[in-house]
Amino acid sequence: MTSHPDVEALALFAEDLLDSDEMRTVAAHTDSCATCAATLDELAGVTRVLAGTPVPELPGDVSDLIDRRLAEAAHERAEGAADSGTDESDADADAGSDARTAPGHGSSDDGASDLAPVTPITRRRRSFGLPQLLVAAAAAVFVVGGGAAVVTEVLRSSTENTGSASAPMEASEEEAPQDMGQSYRPEVLASETVYTDADLAEQAGGVLETTAGTDANEDGGPEALSDDAGSDLVGAEECAARLDEALGTRVTLVDDAFYGTGAERAWVLYAPADDDRVDVYVLDPRCVQEDDITRSVLAETTVDAR
Amino acid sequence: MDAVHELPDRELLTRHSQGDDQAFAVLVRRHRERLWAVSIRMMGDREEASDALQDAFLSAFRAADRFRGESQVSTWLHRIVVNACHDRLRRRKVRPATPTEDEALDVLSNERLGRAGGSPDHAARTETRLDVHAALDLLPLEQRLALTLVDMLGYRVEEAAQILDVASGTVKSRCARGRAKLLPSLAHLRNPQPPRDVTSGRGGATPS
Repeated sequence: MTSHPDVEALALFAEDLLDSDEMRTVAAHTDSCATCAATLDELAGVTRVLAGTPVPELPGDVSDLIDRRLAEAAHERAEGAADSGTDESDADADAGSDARTAPGHGSSDDGASDLAPVTPITRRRRSFGLPQLLVAAAAAVFVVGGGAAVVTEVLRSSTENTGSASAPMEASEEEAPQDMGQSYRPEVLASETVYTDADLAEQAGGVLETTAGTDANEDGGPEALSDDAGSDLVGAEECAARLDEALGTRVTLVDDAFYGTGAERAWVLYAPADDDRVDVYVLDPRCVQEDDITRSVLAETTVDAR
Repeated sequence: MDAVHELPDRELLTRHSQGDDQAFAVLVRRHRERLWAVSIRMMGDREEASDALQDAFLSAFRAADRFRGESQVSTWLHRIVVNACHDRLRRRKVRPATPTEDEALDVLSNERLGRAGGSPDHAARTETRLDVHAALDLLPLEQRLALTLVDMLGYRVEEAAQILDVASGTVKSRCARGRAKLLPSLAHLRNPQPPRDVTSGRGGATPS
């Protein structure tokens, strides 16, 4: 044997991953080479060291956050049924008695000095809902007897809120969500766009721009929905809610529009992916009857939020 | 409540799907320590890891009724966490802090030099543990993840393969290459003190 196999070859050899010729060669070599035999031992030692290293301990503030968010989720699911949350002190006691909890020694990843609160994006997004505003606007439509101006007002208010939410809302992160008991509703518009697969991103960007544009100037907003289309869109909202659930996202805007060369009716759903990007899903309106909502997604893309 | 805590994972998930508002929290408490280990190892950043873990638990919460039982619940949860981490890494376009191989080797051997002559007192042992985490963080994501699951958390290769959605052979070769890279920085530990008893925190069979 003229040369030593390198460490990686030895590691692969130990896992029986070399081809049969190489396996034979390395086996013959390590039989007679003390150095390489020692390296093989050391490789096994790496596994022992890793196995003997305590796993990073879950920081207390992270487990608190998890408890809190799951309690929120349970609460939302129970649709405001009284007192469905998790008792925090109970949770702590359980964690302590749980035999699977990692050893209680310090670990490098605790970063105990760094206690900056974490507000995941999904939580910030929740404040997009604005159910009170929408309810108020619906009432206004009733009193005034309809009219695009009122609906434009809704869009304007909502997009204003979208705009401010795209900057991190640090100040509000410790507030309990105020819309907990109320159902979440995306805003709805009818842009009359005939979306196509090829131009989806561009078209979606255009529609987003138009809605954002209502922020700065009063007109130029997309054509608002007339009242009689409203009943139809209960389905759109339902599909939006189910898509939220399936993909763990938050649809904030639904465009009642058309898709493809046949210009079939389609619902185009907009869900902010993060502060800068928006996921766009084209949904077949038959999603209402479809069990698996994701099968109704005809196309999807991601565009810049601005 | 005591009875709930002794239910098997699958039963907890079923109860959760049926509307039990406690079952999921029990399930989470049972697995969160190991899932945190996966998340922090993958993200390398405490806040990102925290966000990813929360994302994962919420999507598991919502997707529970779609659990079909082809795998164990714990495997399913791990997959969701791994996917949530991948999503976040992709979305943020933040590459995991993995230096090039050469840089990694440099740092590893420097650490090794710095460690030479250290006495095996308690402080040094603590430092040593920190070193293991630091050394792991210098590996490419895939190797780091495979070693975290198999060597550190003690999952069987097949289980890790399911979690990572790759072939068993792929897990083995990622582990092998990762161990080869770790060797220089951990060589000073080649006669390690008897490992602390962490079996209670481990997720699977002890690797042979």
